[in-house]
Order: sequence, then C-alpha cells, then structure tokens
Amino acid sequence: MTMVRTLISRLAPLLACLGLLGIWQVAALVLNTDSFPTALEALRAVPSILGDKESLINIGASLRRMAIAFSVALVVSIPLGLMMGRSRLVASFFNPLLMITYPVPKAALMPIIMLWLGVGDIAKMLVIFLGVSLPVIYHSLQGAKAVEEKMLWSGAAMGLSAPQRMIRIVLPAALPEILTGCRTGLVLALITMVTSEMIARQSGAGNILFNSLDMGQYDTVYAMIIIIGAMGIGIDAAFEKLRARLVRWSEPGFDLPLSFA
Amino acid sequence: MIEIDRVSQTFQTSGRQSHLALSQISLTIEDGAFVAILGPSGCGKSTLLYIVGGFVSPTEGVARMKGKPIAGPGPDRGPVFQEFALFPWKTVLGNVMYGPRQQGVKSAEAEAQSRQLIEMVGLKGFEDFYPKELSGGMKQRVALARTLAYHPAVLLMDEPFGALDAHTRTRLQNDLLNIWERDRKTVLFVTHSVDEAVFLSDKVVVMTRAPGRIKEIVDINLPRPRRRADLLLDPRYQKYVVEIERMIDDTSEDGLRP
Repeated sequence: MTMVRTLISRLAPLLACLGLLGIWQVAALVLNTDSFPTALEALRAVPSILGDKESLINIGASLRRMAIAFSVALVVSIPLGLMMGRSRLVASFFNPLLMITYPVPKAALMPIIMLWLGVGDIAKMLVIFLGVSLPVIYHSLQGAKAVEEKMLWSGAAMGLSAPQRMIRIVLPAALPEILTGCRTGLVLALITMVTSEMIARQSGAGNILFNSLDMGQYDTVYAMIIIIGAMGIGIDAAFEKLRARLVRWSEPGFDLPLSFA
Repeated sequence: MIEIDRVSQTFQTSGRQSHLALSQISLTIEDGAFVAILGPSGCGKSTLLYIVGGFVSPTEGVARMKGKPIAGPGPDRGPVFQEFALFPWKTVLGNVMYGPRQQGVKSAEAEAQSRQLIEMVGLKGFEDFYPKELSGGMKQRVALARTLAYHPAVLLMDEPFGALDAHTRTRLQNDLLNIWERDRKTVLFVTHSVDEAVFLSDKVVVMTRAPGRIKEIVDINLPRPRRRADLLLDPRYQKYVVEIERMIDDTSEDGLRP
C-alpha cells in the first residue's frame, strides 16, 4: 500500500503534465482554430526546432547573454547588498535608487536602452542585468542584516579585521538568503531575456517565437513556449541542486538536535 | 590584570532619549581570578563585559588590560556568549579550528589541538557535526572549546549557561570549573544566578539595577577544587548565598521606588 502511494507521489508531476497536455489536446480539437494547434502538433514541432542549426544558434545566443548578464549581476549585487545590510551609510545612499527602479518593469526601459546602446547584445544584457540585480541585492541585504552581532564579535576576538569579517562571516552566514535571491533572479533573467528579444528582435529564443507568430506558424510558437518553459525548469532544477549542496548546513530536516548535554 | 576606571555607558534610545546603563564603575581584576558580575537584568552587567572585550567603547572612563587602554577586540580576551554565536556553516571541528587558523597555526597542528579540546569539553565523536545538529548544552561546549583554542588570557563569559536547562547548566558549571582548575585563566563571568556566582567565583561583584553601579564586592572564601554536592551542605556557602540574595533584594526595591 505504501509502495503504491510513493509510486503515485513520484509520478505525480508527470501525471500533472500529461493531464495538462490532454486538456490542451481536447480543447484544441474542440475549438479547431488555426491559431491554437493541438498539443501533439506543438510537441511535433519541438524536434524540428531543436534539429535546426539556425534555431540552435539563436537559443545558444540567448543562453549566452543570460549567463553573462546573470553572472555580472551577481558579482555586482551580492557585495552591494551585503554592504547595504551592514552599513547604514551605504544603505541610505543606494536605497532611494533602488526604490525608484524597483517598481519599473525592466522591459519598459528597453526602448531607452535601445536608443542609447542599439539593439545588440549589450542592450539586452543590460535589461537582464537590471532584472536580476534587484532581488539579489534585496536578499543579500536581508541576509547581511540578519547576521548575529555576537558572531561578528567572536570573529573580531579571533583577530579578523572588518573586511575579513565581511568575507568570512557575513558572506557565508547570509549565503542561504543570498541563494534564495539568486534563484528568483535566475527566473527573472529568463523572463527578461525573452522580453528583451521580443522588443529588440535580432536573434535569440524570443526572436524565433515572435517571428513565427508574425508568419502564422502557430505550432512553432507553441513549441518555442514549451522549449523556453523546459529551459526554465531545467535551469531552476540545476540551480536548486547546487543551492542545496552549498547550504546543506542550514537546511531544515537536517535539524535533529541530539539529546545530550 | 584588568582595570576598569570610572567607566560610564550611555545609550541613545529611540526618541532621542539617553539611557544611562553604567555609572562610574571602577573595578580591578587580578590575573587568574574567577570573578562573577551579578545583578538583575538590565543592570548593564553584560555591557561591562563588552567594554572589557572591546566590543563596546565606554562613553566615559577607560578600561585597561595589562596597563594598556582597551581599544578593540583581541585574541587575548575570548568571549563566550549566551547565544553561542557559533559559525553554523562550519562543523564542530571547523569552529574550534577557526581561531588557531586565524592566528596562523598550521592546519595539522590546529586540528590536533582542536580535537584534543573537543575531547576535553566532552564532545569526542561529534567533530563532524554541524551546530544545527547539536543541543544547547553541546553548542555551548563547542563555543567554550572554540574560545579556549586561541589561548586567550581572559575568558569573558556572558551568561553562558543562561539558555540551558537546570540539569545541563549544573553539568557545564562542573566541567567549566574542572577546565579552569587546569590553567587558572582569568575569568569574568556575567550571571544573574546567585547560586552560580557563589559556586564558581573567587569574587562576586554585586551590581544595582539601572543605572548599573557596583553595590558591593564579596570575596568568596571557599576551598577549591569545589564540588557541588559538598558545597550545597556547607554553611559558609549557604551564608554567602543568603547574604548576596539580600543585597539583590535591596537593589530591586531601589529600582521600584518612583
């Protein structure tokens, strides 16, 4: 009985996907319009996109931009967030800037950025950078703020200087929170990546999507959405695995205090 | 020797009010003495410890260590906090090795010393555990080992057993005394337990309610090594406890007076 139950819970995600595809298939057959291909048609278009060299180059270009922008955003945002969390001066300087940029949809900045930087890689990477930075800064800030004062004092008594305490105590102590921000940032990177390519069409996964929309190749449109979604799931799952490894020491479930004085 | 010379501490509270935490404290602590600072909560006794640690600088007055004014934290003064303040991303061994490694001790040597210390505080077999996996008492043992590992001349203990249950507290008090008997470091031990102060110390500094002043300093002339079971029956011990408890009662009433 329990084996059946574990089997069902293991298969649950797969069953959910199959169910969704089933509903899609039936709905498309019932509605029967050109702009809504059936699930099977869309799935059939997936291998033809992945088999096409041109498409792969486009998707590769997207991923490359995303990876570069994401990495640069982390390199800038983590130190900035940590410093904002530990220094009132730094926080009061950068806080207004962040408050202004926070509610602005980053894609809305795309037209201005395109005017300044053109429609090339730099403009798109800047938009992704902006999208990733805010959650990473915010979570790094929260993580740094929450570091116990006494932990820093213990380090100071051992002879750690202020910069050493920042790198060797604040950074690892805030790491679980920082990585939560990175995970949010990663998903936002994917979203801003596609949006930027939708506005500045030149290359990339978003470019394929919207070009095929213009040309009325609806099965390709849906196939591309499936591919982007799968990429999102894959990247997120890989990151989650890395995250769990890095902060194993802080995971709940690992929390089994032994009864021993 | 630690000299605290007319130290006062004022904190800015919200609403631009200032709160006088410590008022004109003067105290001398001899090398190798076990001194308890005892007082009701909010009397500034921890603040006094933080000033000696160099974590807080006094608003007025000066604290000196071996004649030199204390300007900041240093490895000659090792703190042990009620909150343990262990590094949660390090194992027990990693935590204990942290100080010696920072002092430039070679990895293998630091590890050997640390393993020895871990055994001394009774945690052999737990070297590779993370703090999260340990009980409160075990965490405080790790914290003590971590501080002893870099050989501070003075131990600054900030209500170290305050968060532990009575049974665990008793065991740790006994173990602390056993460890202290070996090398007789100077210990400054903040507590609000009269019992604990008398059992452990050579000298009990009784403080008044805020603003913290020294009400009295009581020398505890009880033989060492001390065993809890013997002391509890000793009339001298009982007399000290009653005497000090009365002093604290007085200071509490002082605090309640409008």
